[in-house]
Amino acid sequence: MIGAFLYLMGCSFKNRLRRRLQRLREPRYVIGLLVGLLYFYLAFFRRSGRPRVQGDAAAVAAVVGPLQFFGGLFLFSAAVIAWVRPGGRPPLPFTRPEVQFLFTAPVTRRQLVHYTLWRSQIAILIGSVIASLILRPGSLSAGWTLVAGIWVVLMTLRLHLVGVALRRLSLASHGRMGLARQWLPLVVVVGAAGVLAHALIGAWPVLASLKDGQTVLAEVQRLAGQGAAAVVFWPFNALVRLPLAASPAEFVAALPPALILLALNYVWVLRSDAAFEEASAEHAERQAAMRAAPRPPSKGRLAAPFTLAPIGPPETAILWKNLILIGRYVSLRTLVRVLPAVIVLGLVARSGGAGGFGVVLGTLALPLAAMAMLLGPQIARNDLRQDLARLPLLKTWPVRGAALIRGEVLAPAIVVTVVAWLLMLTAAFLGGGLREGSREATLLGANRASWLAAACVLAPAIVLAQVVVQNGLAVLFPAWVAIGAARARGIEATGQRLLMLAGMLVALIVSLLPGVAVAAALAILAYWATGMVLILLPALIVSVVVLAECWLAIEGLGRVLDRTDPGAVEASE
Amino acid sequence: MIDVRHLTKTYGSFKAVDDFSFRVQPGEVVGLIGPNGAGKTSTLRCIVGIQAPSAGTITVGGHDIVTAPVDAKRLLAFMPDEPQLFEYLTVMEHLRLTARLYRVRDVEARARDLIAELQLTGKEHALPTELSRGMKQKVAIACGLLHDPKALLFDEPLTGLDPLGIRHMKETIVARGRGGAAVIVSSHLLHLVEEICTRIVIIDHGRKVADATLEELKAHPELGAAGSSLEQIFLTATAGEP
Repeated sequence: MIGAFLYLMGCSFKNRLRRRLQRLREPRYVIGLLVGLLYFYLAFFRRSGRPRVQGDAAAVAAVVGPLQFFGGLFLFSAAVIAWVRPGGRPPLPFTRPEVQFLFTAPVTRRQLVHYTLWRSQIAILIGSVIASLILRPGSLSAGWTLVAGIWVVLMTLRLHLVGVALRRLSLASHGRMGLARQWLPLVVVVGAAGVLAHALIGAWPVLASLKDGQTVLAEVQRLAGQGAAAVVFWPFNALVRLPLAASPAEFVAALPPALILLALNYVWVLRSDAAFEEASAEHAERQAAMRAAPRPPSKGRLAAPFTLAPIGPPETAILWKNLILIGRYVSLRTLVRVLPAVIVLGLVARSGGAGGFGVVLGTLALPLAAMAMLLGPQIARNDLRQDLARLPLLKTWPVRGAALIRGEVLAPAIVVTVVAWLLMLTAAFLGGGLREGSREATLLGANRASWLAAACVLAPAIVLAQVVVQNGLAVLFPAWVAIGAARARGIEATGQRLLMLAGMLVALIVSLLPGVAVAAALAILAYWATGMVLILLPALIVSVVVLAECWLAIEGLGRVLDRTDPGAVEASE
Repeated sequence: MIDVRHLTKTYGSFKAVDDFSFRVQPGEVVGLIGPNGAGKTSTLRCIVGIQAPSAGTITVGGHDIVTAPVDAKRLLAFMPDEPQLFEYLTVMEHLRLTARLYRVRDVEARARDLIAELQLTGKEHALPTELSRGMKQKVAIACGLLHDPKALLFDEPLTGLDPLGIRHMKETIVARGRGGAAVIVSSHLLHLVEEICTRIVIIDHGRKVADATLEELKAHPELGAAGSSLEQIFLTATAGEP
């Protein structure tokens, strides 16, 4: 049977590779590959060429201790969280064709487990090599020990997570009987967590009395290395020691306990009696459905933003449709996911010395407003970047291409602009003042309302320009832009994305130049003649010029869209 | 109503449709049949303006689909074999969106009638993810019929429908034809074509090989000799091509 599995994996890998190589016949993929390779070279490899300075070894030795501690802590946390995190993924994920071919074939459950473990090797090996490249080992021997060490850690972790998921499945399907069957691993996990909690509570008065973070870390490290806590951490430290080995001899010495742990987890997984087939088949169906419609919307969320009158410009209908899209996907869960990041940012800002939560919020709002204006148009994709995947349908509508694009760009532009406005208002009303008596305070502080008004006037133009550019790139180069939910992968796709980003920035700067030139000339003239610093009027001029440019660009893009064959978009997906 | 003249559609060096001409008058239900890859879908996609013809002209109600696409499309409805719906819009929202795009004033009343006709009652506020494939097909058809089109094009209209749905679909198509619309039905189901179509166009390798009523085809000296069923005529008509 293993021959059939290896044949399946070999063919899949070979054909995937062949397809990627075949794509390189097209210039867009070759250019993307070259740019992607250049990016990865500059990001990871170029730095390795620098001569190593003396003292590196000492510096490395100094961080090995904390690295080992944090590595062990990470593995321990992963092992515990695997037991308590909400379920969702099955222990052994299979694709729909795998379910169709393998689940119906005369293959034992154990053989299926082996197949998934074999299959995961490619990803784990590639991950080990990439992680090693990022960590930049100093020599060839250090390189292979690092790769092998990371492989052992990742493989053991993978086996352990599969084992936990299988036990959880068994628990869920057997109820109380399951509890009786799985008492040993449960006792081990609960006992280990209890030991660490006990050690931490016991040492809390000492930890609380320590002044700085470094001494707290040193004390926690010391605690983890003694008594019962050391026993709990031993297996995790034994694994982490392998990739952190400073020499081949050290690696060989650390190998036996790590391999024993790997083997124990392997046996543990194989001894499971959990019937994973149903969960795996369900997961495969869900994955296939998600590929067709990546995130199932919910009508229970936000209702239609406004009542759509039966007669009126088509742009409003498309805006209405795309606003519904946002409402159906933005949920409380999304907000809850964002909230921790906002709280952390707030606390960081507060630790910087700013006073009062309102001021912290206000100070945070300004960079967030800038981020919303610059990143928002790339994130909010409820426009042609989504709908081009349905170009055959859009082409049947009695709507001109320009009207279609106008309607499509409205929703992301409005949503991002409103977010930016809210953040600007927050910054203006809650943000901290400048140093009293400073020249900037006199110049800017007195005109805070003008600055706010100018920013609010500029925001829609800057946001719309970016959205138009993004949609324009999708219309002109559908093969280069991610259309719909599809996301191309690989170095060439990274290169394409970088090129698109560069193109977007160039187009944005070019679109701003005429308005900025006119506005600057007017502002300089006004200052020279009256000594007044004009703020709102130049912003208004820039905004009007950019909006006019957007209108013209949409008209031109509309003609291109009218001529676009859906086949060109379909072929690019 | 639909006038296709010397239509040619090429993909690179491959000629999918080759100098293909036919007309569909108001009230006619024309069956467009042919083997896989014969050029049926390419023809339909060119007629509705999804793809531009490589050569030839197509007019709908006198409006050229290339030079006056908005006017032509306002008269058209295209029901593809795979229903194309927005996964985040409910059934009713699909109908409201379509009404706005096609300027349908009495959307609520018409939507109610279509929902009843297509047995979608109770599903007005359902998302496509909550519907079966047949139901989705019905939603796409309801959207297509909402603006009372003068020209209707169905590509494999029975795919995914249950027996009752099939019966209703046939009645819907025939009713539209009787109501004065020009209808094209593309299908591999020859018994469907035989049952509901007033005229049959056979296409093979992008070229028209027959264009007549079933009776005329049966009376044809070469095709009719094969037998009295459309299946036998079809196999004879498409067998000799390279």
